[in-house]
Amino acid sequence: MANKKKNDYVSKDKEVKEKNTSPKDIILSIKNANYRYSDAEEDDYALKNVSFDFESGKIYAIKGRSGTGKTTLLSLISGLEKCTEGEIIFDGKSLKSMNLDKYRNNDIGIVFQSYNLLPFMTACENIILSMDANGLKIKNKKEKAIELMEKVGLKASYANRKVLRLSGGEQQRVAIARSLSYNPKMIIADEPTGNLDKQTETEILDIFKKLAHEENKCVIIVTHSQNVCDTVDKIYNLKKVQEK
Amino acid sequence: MFILKNAWISIKRNKGRNILIGIIILIIACACTITLAIKNTASDLINSYKSAYEKEVTIGFDRENMMKDFDPSQKEERESAREKFDNIASYTISDVLKFADSDYIESYYYTYGVGLNGNNIEKAEIESNSNMSNGFGHGKENNMSDTDFTLTGYSSEDAMSEFISGAYTMSEIVDNAWDIAFNGNYVFINEELASYNNLKLNDKIKLEDEDGNVYEFEIIGIFKENDEDNQESMSMFSNSVNTIVTNSDAVVNLTNGNENLKASIHPTFIIDSYDNVEKLQDEFYEKGLDENFILQTNEELAESGVSSVKNISSFSTTFLVITLIIGGIVLFVINMINIRERKYEIGVLRTIGISKFKLTMQFVSELVIVSVVALTLGAGIGAVSSKGVSNSLLANEISSSNEKTEEINKNFGGMNHGERGGMHGKGMPVVQAYDSIDAVVDIKVLLELLSIGLSLVLVSSIASMVSIQRFSPLTILKERS
Repeated sequence: MANKKKNDYVSKDKEVKEKNTSPKDIILSIKNANYRYSDAEEDDYALKNVSFDFESGKIYAIKGRSGTGKTTLLSLISGLEKCTEGEIIFDGKSLKSMNLDKYRNNDIGIVFQSYNLLPFMTACENIILSMDANGLKIKNKKEKAIELMEKVGLKASYANRKVLRLSGGEQQRVAIARSLSYNPKMIIADEPTGNLDKQTETEILDIFKKLAHEENKCVIIVTHSQNVCDTVDKIYNLKKVQEK
Repeated sequence: MFILKNAWISIKRNKGRNILIGIIILIIACACTITLAIKNTASDLINSYKSAYEKEVTIGFDRENMMKDFDPSQKEERESAREKFDNIASYTISDVLKFADSDYIESYYYTYGVGLNGNNIEKAEIESNSNMSNGFGHGKENNMSDTDFTLTGYSSEDAMSEFISGAYTMSEIVDNAWDIAFNGNYVFINEELASYNNLKLNDKIKLEDEDGNVYEFEIIGIFKENDEDNQESMSMFSNSVNTIVTNSDAVVNLTNGNENLKASIHPTFIIDSYDNVEKLQDEFYEKGLDENFILQTNEELAESGVSSVKNISSFSTTFLVITLIIGGIVLFVINMINIRERKYEIGVLRTIGISKFKLTMQFVSELVIVSVVALTLGAGIGAVSSKGVSNSLLANEISSSNEKTEEINKNFGGMNHGERGGMHGKGMPVVQAYDSIDAVVDIKVLLELLSIGLSLVLVSSIASMVSIQRFSPLTILKERS
């Protein structure tokens, strides 16, 4: 067979450590997912034949070199993009049949490397905004927001501070608190510690570990940090392979 | 609730931009309120003036058709035209009664005129060039210009009193004049004629036809032109000095059995709508009206009374359209800039699961909230200033129209004070029915303003709507990163 194009990809998973799990714990399953950008040629896939399973109560890392499709995979999982072929099953339902806006503000929480907070709002307002988007009916949303801030290691006095006046680590904690505001089953984080120092990275990873192991959430972290890979329960490695 | 709450937060956050949008919408709202108030009030005035103005139809020669292909330099053609003119079948009182029996006609009257010479009175000598009042209508003329007087008989009291009380005022009248006016040979004469012949009420005047038959009439009223200006303007084409007004039966009695005494009938039909004139004309032709006659209306005259108001209304409409186009473009551009500036915000909100619809509604709500406040203020300012602006515009329009008329008079020898004669109609100052509009902002104006304002807001929001539908949150956030 002739050489395939350079940007063809295959996926490969590598288990580092694994606990005993049963299929009923699988919260998210990616089945033979292919993704091709709308302006790409017919056989020019950004992701090809990706099949991963994610369980509740575990923390996962998706690693790979730049250009292997990590962020693309994350956008498929978070419902920001749709698979060209294959499917993603969340809690027994295909994302294709779900309202993806509702999925994003109810079932999953997303944390970005660049935090993606609204700079004109305070830390507390950013968290409340997410609660509002979810339609959460809580009497005192501010109280709940402060509670979440404290949970991720932020002082309550930061509640009314504009996010731009917070450090990178603090902003990331606000972003995590925001993603937890409606108690999702799964947290997806794209390079969440990419902009942080080692100490803060460890603290943020501790939060994620707690969320997975103590609150039975599934945490998926896209990363190329070895420190993150050392912390997680399982690593999926995306590789760019040139087939012959 | 989430949409409104977020919209309100965004408005407070972007004070500068929203104040700018508010000012633009306020200006548009103010201009719209004034122009809509002027337009609606002007439209009401025009309609009420037109509905109060009787829609009159008279029968006249189709001169254009008759003169078609006519070469006056050819003797043969002149003779043939004269022959053709003589052969036109005229219409009689019975024809008029037949014509008047139509669904399109609300009422009618006619004048029956005959030319006679004086027997015991003399024709009042004036500088006018005709002794026939043009106001008595059209029709096949007899040899009235060769006689001293025109005896004009009115078919109804209304028509007669309307004629007399329109351009004239009754200066003297016998007590029971209107009781007897239609019951015999009673006449109303012009004050100038009375003075010239030293006539007074209850005097008897005698008129004779060309065969020497003498007819006697009793004077029961003396009328005069309303005022100096009117006298001059009217006398230009309506010399009533030697016109003697009576009832139509009196004229009919004169002409009965006297074939040499030819009278002309000038019917006037009051119709329900100018739109039906063509249908009425066809009906008249079917009923035997010669096709060399056509129906003529007083629509132009009715229109001329409100021409300035119409001009103001039309100016307002143009101004409104221009304001809306410019305002719409400016708002559209501001919205485009707004969307570009808030792209990141859109990306974040979409990522945390806010639907495109909710986001679109939030952006539209922001604009609607600002617009409603600005529209309310604009409507208030517009309401306060609309009266002054409309009257000032109308005053300018009337003054400019009068200047134009004076210019025409100067250039084309139209009527000046102290001069008589001149071109028929040309240079005649148009008497405006209204010299003030007093544009009022009513509920109709407010509703129109609201619908225009909201439509403008929605149209200018298209940029944000389309952008929100098109933006990929991931792309936005990647760009930001």
